[in-house]
Amino acid sequence: MTAAGFIFMAASWAAIVALNVFCFAKLWSENHRD
Amino acid sequence: MFIPFTIGLYYIYITSWTLGFSIFSLLGTYDGLATRQAMGAFLGAYQGVLHNQYFGSVATAYLSYLLTLAFTWFVLLGGVAKGIERLAKTAIPLLFVLGALLVARVLSFGTPDVAHPDWNVSNGLGFVWNPDFSQLTNASIWMAAAGQIFFTLSIGWGIIHTYVSYLREDDDIALTGMSTVGVNEFAEVILGGTIALTAAVAFFGVNGTREIAHGGAFDLGFQAMPVIFQRVPAGNLIGAVWFLLLFFAGITSAVAMAQPMIALLEEGWNVTRTRAVSLVCGGMFVAVQPVIFFQSYGFLDELDYWVGAVALVVFALLEILIFAWIFGIDRGWDEINRGAAVRPPAMFKPVIKYVTPAFLAVILGWWLVTEVPGKLMMEGVSAQARPYVIGARVMMLAILALVWTLVAQASRAWRRPPGGSLR
Repeated sequence: MTAAGFIFMAASWAAIVALNVFCFAKLWSENHRD
Repeated sequence: MFIPFTIGLYYIYITSWTLGFSIFSLLGTYDGLATRQAMGAFLGAYQGVLHNQYFGSVATAYLSYLLTLAFTWFVLLGGVAKGIERLAKTAIPLLFVLGALLVARVLSFGTPDVAHPDWNVSNGLGFVWNPDFSQLTNASIWMAAAGQIFFTLSIGWGIIHTYVSYLREDDDIALTGMSTVGVNEFAEVILGGTIALTAAVAFFGVNGTREIAHGGAFDLGFQAMPVIFQRVPAGNLIGAVWFLLLFFAGITSAVAMAQPMIALLEEGWNVTRTRAVSLVCGGMFVAVQPVIFFQSYGFLDELDYWVGAVALVVFALLEILIFAWIFGIDRGWDEINRGAAVRPPAMFKPVIKYVTPAFLAVILGWWLVTEVPGKLMMEGVSAQARPYVIGARVMMLAILALVWTLVAQASRAWRRPPGGSLR
């Protein structure tokens, strides 16, 4: 794997994980608002 | 209606392979087959493409298909609708846990065969991730990428409509949509992209992986995964569970693919649920026969190219035009924001109205000019396979004409004053 490939992979994985954390946090707070 | 029915008819067949491979894994049928040639011979014989010591005919695959279709039929009739919902709640998270464990195992493979030092995990990841900017000028790549994301997110072809029909008016569309994308990309890019492709390169090499992918659109996972399972502790059991979980996940999708046509027959043609399910499943059973028996002539791949990629982009373009320009972006924006915990930034409004339709139109136009003539003239297709490729096209057109007629008749009935009947 080239350095550019590694950067693409790391950035994509980080973005996907961040999106999931954000969505789960939002869904959790919405479902436990009361 | 056209896309979910046509994809559904071969999707159930592909799903049936997971049932077959679950049983093979449990019984150790493919134990000892660790090379591309060996796994290719095993899968090819199972599909009826080859005849060898593993399978003499397509009979095993056909039996597996019949069981899968019967199960789908049963679920659609409501026999186990609640059960499948409960099962999915356990099966899908379990699939993710197993997937994460397999990622860890695949990344630890290193260089499995010292005779081929370039067949390794690093090159496997590089195969997926190393950028090749020259491909940006290839219209087919853009088309395939757009088709892939629409397929995997179920957008543009009726499946998402089935799912959203379960939403209430004030449910949060933006957050639900983002969550769907997030979980889907986690499964597809992080888990799927790391497990099957990386392992395929580590065990079969880059060229071998390319050959498998060119040989059949769905073959890679079924050749790579058994090799992985032979290298993990309790691999037979884990492989059996993995393929069985995929089977159940596939059934939930197959149910959603059949649903739009069933709903059309029920609501547009006043057909009972039982009869509508039987008509749709029966229609899929009839139409899948050439897919099963002419697979070696590219019948399945021809269907998947036009319906599973091209038609998805065409219909996605039509849908976004209808949403943004006919339904109206302002009304659409209100819908998106109603009950929303996450309000999309206002910049997405012009993106939905102008950028997305223009982008899809450019991809389609470019592909139409550069790729379609060669594809239509069947460049690269052997003389022996050409009649079957033409047959696949005729079948797609016949399904399209049938769906068109059904929808046209039903819409006439819907426009009729109450009390009037369709037939």
